[in-house]
Amino acid sequence: MPQLNPEFFVSQLFWLVVTFSFLLIFLWRISLPRISNVLKKRERKISEDLTAAKELQLEAEKIQESIENKLKQARSDASEMIKNSSITLQDKVQAELAKVDKELDVKINKSEETIEKSKNQSLSKIEEQINEITKLTLSKVAEFEVTEDEIKSAIKSSERSIN
Amino acid sequence: MAAKDSPLKQFEIIPYSKTEVGSYDISFTNSSLSMVITVAVITLFLTLTVNPRSLVPTRMQLISELMYNFIAQLLSDTVGDNGKKYFPFVFSIFMFVLIGNMVGMVPYQFTFTSHIIVTFALASVVFIGVTILGFVNHGIKFFTFFYIPGVPFYMHPLLIPIEVISYLSRPISLSVRLFANMLAGHTLLKVFAGFVVAMPFFTGALPLVFIVALTGLEILIAFLQAYVFAILTCLYINDAYHLH
Repeated sequence: MPQLNPEFFVSQLFWLVVTFSFLLIFLWRISLPRISNVLKKRERKISEDLTAAKELQLEAEKIQESIENKLKQARSDASEMIKNSSITLQDKVQAELAKVDKELDVKINKSEETIEKSKNQSLSKIEEQINEITKLTLSKVAEFEVTEDEIKSAIKSSERSIN
Repeated sequence: MAAKDSPLKQFEIIPYSKTEVGSYDISFTNSSLSMVITVAVITLFLTLTVNPRSLVPTRMQLISELMYNFIAQLLSDTVGDNGKKYFPFVFSIFMFVLIGNMVGMVPYQFTFTSHIIVTFALASVVFIGVTILGFVNHGIKFFTFFYIPGVPFYMHPLLIPIEVISYLSRPISLSVRLFANMLAGHTLLKVFAGFVVAMPFFTGALPLVFIVALTGLEILIAFLQAYVFAILTCLYINDAYHLH
C-alpha cells in the first residue's frame, strides 16, 4: 500500500503545512471578513428597512387618526352651524315680523286719526251748512233776517230738546 | 492481478521534481499538486464570488455565504459563543477536506485525503491544539476531564484508563475515519472499473452502472467526511471549554 511507504512522508507533510497555512491565513484575513461584512451589511439593511417600515406605519396610523378626528370635528361643526343659523333665522323672522307689526300699527293709528279729523271736519262743515241753509231758507221764505248767533243757539236748543 | 493494474496504484506518489533540503526530501509531487489545486479552488472561489459584495447575492455568492453560515451555525450549535475565535480554523479544515475530497473525485486526479499521513497530520493539529486549549482554559484541572463524576468509586480504576485511551485515540480515529473512507471508496471504484474492462461482451455495462451509482455515493461521502471532520473538531473544542 503506497500510503504506508514513508519515502514521501516528509514531502507530503511539508506541502500540507505550506498549503494549509496559506489557506488558513488567506481565509482568515481576506475571504471570511469579506463574507461576514456582506452578511452584516445585509442584516443591518434589513433591520433598518424593518424599523423604517414600522415608523412609517405608525405615522400612517397617526395620519389616519387625525383624519378621522378632523372628520368628526367637521361633522359636529356643521351640525352646530345648522343649529345656530336656524336659531338666528327664527330670531330674524320674529324681529322682522315685530317691526312690520309696529309699522302697521303706526300706519293704522295715523289713518284712524286722519279719518277722525276728516269726519270732524265734515261734521263741522255740515253744521255750518245747516246754519247757512237755515239762514237762507229763513231769509227767502220768511224774509226774516237772523244773525248767525241766533241760528246757532236755536239749533243748539233744538238739539238739546231732541236729546 | 498484475502490479500495474492494482486498484491501489492510484494512490502512488509521483514526484515531479527532486528537491531536498538537508537530508529531507520535499519534492513537489502529484499529492502536492492536488493540495495546491484544492487551495487555489477554495481561495479563488471564495474571493471572486464575494467580490461584488452585493446585498442581493448572485448564485455563486450565495454558495459562499451558505458555506459560511453552515460552519458558523455548526460552531455556534456545538461550542456557543466561545467558538467564534476558531471559526477561520474550522472553516479552513472543512473546506480543505471537502474540496480535497472533491478534487479527488475528478478522474486522474490524486486524492491527498486518502493518505494517512495527511489526515493524521490534520487530526494531530486539531488534537494538539485542543489539548493546549484545554490546559490554557483549565490549567491542571484539565486532568479532571478523565474523571467521570457520579460513578461508584471502585469503577474509577477502570474508567480513568478508558477515558485516557479514548482521549489519546482521538487523532487516530479522526484521521483513520477520513483516510479509510477515501481509500475504500476510490479502491472500490477502481475495482469496478477493472470489471468493466475484464468482463466479456456487453456484461461490462453492469459494473459501469455500479460505477455511476458509486460515484454519486462517493460525492456524498466526500461531503459527509468533511462534515464529520468539522463537527468532531467543534466537539473537541467544546470539550476544551466544558469539562464533564
